[in-house]
Amino acid sequence: MACVRSLNRRTLVGSALTAGALAGLPWSASAAEAPWEVRPAADINKLSMVVWSYGNIYSDISAKFKADWGVPVEATVIPFPDQPNKLMTMYAAGDHVDVSQTSPFSMANFVEQDVIEPLDSLPGEKEYLTDFTPLARQANMFNRKLMALPFLSAVWAWNYNTELLDKINREPFRTYDELLDQARKAKRDNVSEFPILWVAGAGTEQLAGTWYQLTWNRGGAFFDKNGKPELGPGSIARETLRWFGKTFADGLSDPGSLKMQQTTSAATFSAGHNLYRGPSQHFGLSIINDPARSSIAGKVKIWGSPGDGKTIGSTHSVFLTTATRNKEWGWKLLQYLGGKTRDGKYTMAETLARTAMFLPGYTSLLNSHAIAEGWKKWCDPQKLLEIMGKATYVGEVCNSIYHSWHLPWSDQLNIEVQKVLIGESDADQCCDRLVTDLKQVQKS
Amino acid sequence: MNVEFDGVEIGPIAGKARVKRSGGRELSPGLLCVVINLPTLVFLALVLAYPIVFAGYLSFHKVAVGNLRSGVYPFIGFENFRRIFADPLFLISLENTLIFTFVAVGTEIVLAVAIALLMSYSTIWTSRVLKMLVLLPFAVPPIANGLIWTFIYSFNFGFLNRVLLSLGLISTPINWIGNPNSALYLLALPYVWRSLPFAILLVHAALQDLNPALYEAAALDGATAWGRFRYITLPLLKPVIVVILVLRTSTAMTVFEEVLAITHGGPGDATWTAAWYSYRQSFAPPFDIGIGSASAYVLGVIIAICAIVYVKLIYRKIG
Repeated sequence: MACVRSLNRRTLVGSALTAGALAGLPWSASAAEAPWEVRPAADINKLSMVVWSYGNIYSDISAKFKADWGVPVEATVIPFPDQPNKLMTMYAAGDHVDVSQTSPFSMANFVEQDVIEPLDSLPGEKEYLTDFTPLARQANMFNRKLMALPFLSAVWAWNYNTELLDKINREPFRTYDELLDQARKAKRDNVSEFPILWVAGAGTEQLAGTWYQLTWNRGGAFFDKNGKPELGPGSIARETLRWFGKTFADGLSDPGSLKMQQTTSAATFSAGHNLYRGPSQHFGLSIINDPARSSIAGKVKIWGSPGDGKTIGSTHSVFLTTATRNKEWGWKLLQYLGGKTRDGKYTMAETLARTAMFLPGYTSLLNSHAIAEGWKKWCDPQKLLEIMGKATYVGEVCNSIYHSWHLPWSDQLNIEVQKVLIGESDADQCCDRLVTDLKQVQKS
Repeated sequence: MNVEFDGVEIGPIAGKARVKRSGGRELSPGLLCVVINLPTLVFLALVLAYPIVFAGYLSFHKVAVGNLRSGVYPFIGFENFRRIFADPLFLISLENTLIFTFVAVGTEIVLAVAIALLMSYSTIWTSRVLKMLVLLPFAVPPIANGLIWTFIYSFNFGFLNRVLLSLGLISTPINWIGNPNSALYLLALPYVWRSLPFAILLVHAALQDLNPALYEAAALDGATAWGRFRYITLPLLKPVIVVILVLRTSTAMTVFEEVLAITHGGPGDATWTAAWYSYRQSFAPPFDIGIGSASAYVLGVIIAICAIVYVKLIYRKIG
């Protein structure tokens, strides 16, 4: 007993001091290093990610990660629409997935299903938060917790074909009435059979996104702050849909619009048959103004929305999954996709901005000269930044995206809005039905 | 004296045949049957019976992704079934599925009989070409078939519009699958194109078995070509037509690939089918596998009822 007491009094204090000193050594060494430079303590033989297919960016970043840390990264690369299915299948099967991606529309569902690991109090979190753009901040914070890092941001903008606009001898529209007048003239003069190409294929960012943007630009929203739908008679959303449908009924909109996803719409517009495209995510211009992929490259310009130019924006994110092998290493890999690499650079965000016109989620990078220079081959960078300055996160326009029932409701929205655009239903029936459906999905 | 063939003694009474084993002991015929069939039974149990039974189990439970990972599924009774029957989209999907099946299978049978008859006339030179060409669609994967038809139907750059415009048959492009009134029927076309060879082969094989003497006798009696077809060919083809009906009905009711590749259920809900509904519920957010299983089960029951009706009302009558 005396021996034990002696150990407590002397040795314990001594060993505590020794341990503290030992622990302090690496800490004081790492304190001089930035968070992204510090190697996690655990040993790990590999990491994995489930990501959207896009060129060689993942093999490049995996190679960089291995070169920096000696850990190989296994990438499961899946086309954008199928990626959530693959992730969920792997997750359900009990596989390890360290990092994955999400659109803003799927994030609430992933949070509710407990797939996303919160990032609060991980090293470097505060530095990132400070540098976030407003879009990135709104997209990645849930219940005041950081849940993800920004992968890319986009704002909804119009495109116009300068050659066709010259033929009708007009300037880009400044009101919706002007838009319709120009479209009628282009049709009448056989300049364009279907002057407006909408990105209105089924999808949360296509058809739904177009309606959100048009409504927001006219001063409306889909829900109030308390989540009450604003789709009733006389609402801006309802009247906007009525107007939207009429452009199809009047033969001013390209009927093919209803099949258009982002890339297909850019490719279709590149054929040079339509006067206007949009409002849609701005980066389609990287295809339309690419001489290798477009017959009208260089003849298409970016344009803001009428009135005060209000538009919407979104941020796609990368997140750490709860199926990670090791949280510290998973966070390290996550930063390579959505934050800084070991050298302190936003390597991935810069690559995406320079090669595909995606907006970075970090203010410091957004304002960099290098990015603006990189965008010049596709559009006027100042115009794009001006449009971005007027963008509000889509969650403010349709705050149902913060709820897991948003996606089933959005499925119904796509069906009902398509019916309006093909003349099978009208805006009143559509909005009434959506309000009814809302109650059902919320209940279930 | 008993005869032995490949180790099996063929005695005066066949039922008493025995298999000699190396040790001299014999397996009874019953046991032999079990031994021979066991691998197949085990295989079918694993790949067919287990998923069916498990899907049935899941349909009575709440199965979200987290439940799948943890393996814990709360029992919720008939809630999934209640929800799908309260969902107008599911009812529309069922209705679309039935219309699609009726159109696709009906078209398939008529075309299969017509093309198989043409192939049977060896005197027509096209029959030899047909025999080769008819198998081509069978070799195309369903999803590739769907993508091919997407290009054919495309409003802006579609092959079909381009041909019709070039021939002067239309003056403006037609939005083929953008029209809710025609989309479902036009969706049936790629499906029929893909699945028709199977039906043709069955009918063609059945035609080879028909007795030529019947036709010679009919010709002597002055029967016309239509008469020979109506009173000889068609009645003799009925069994194979019923087989095609049963097989093709069950596959047409589960049509999925064409919907995925061409329409995604649109425009509106015009081409939502039951299999597409199950897929969307299970494999799109919110990934409700329980609902997907329940809807797949309902479809399975409908297919089973159709098969029983075909067999009871038509096949047995023919027998």
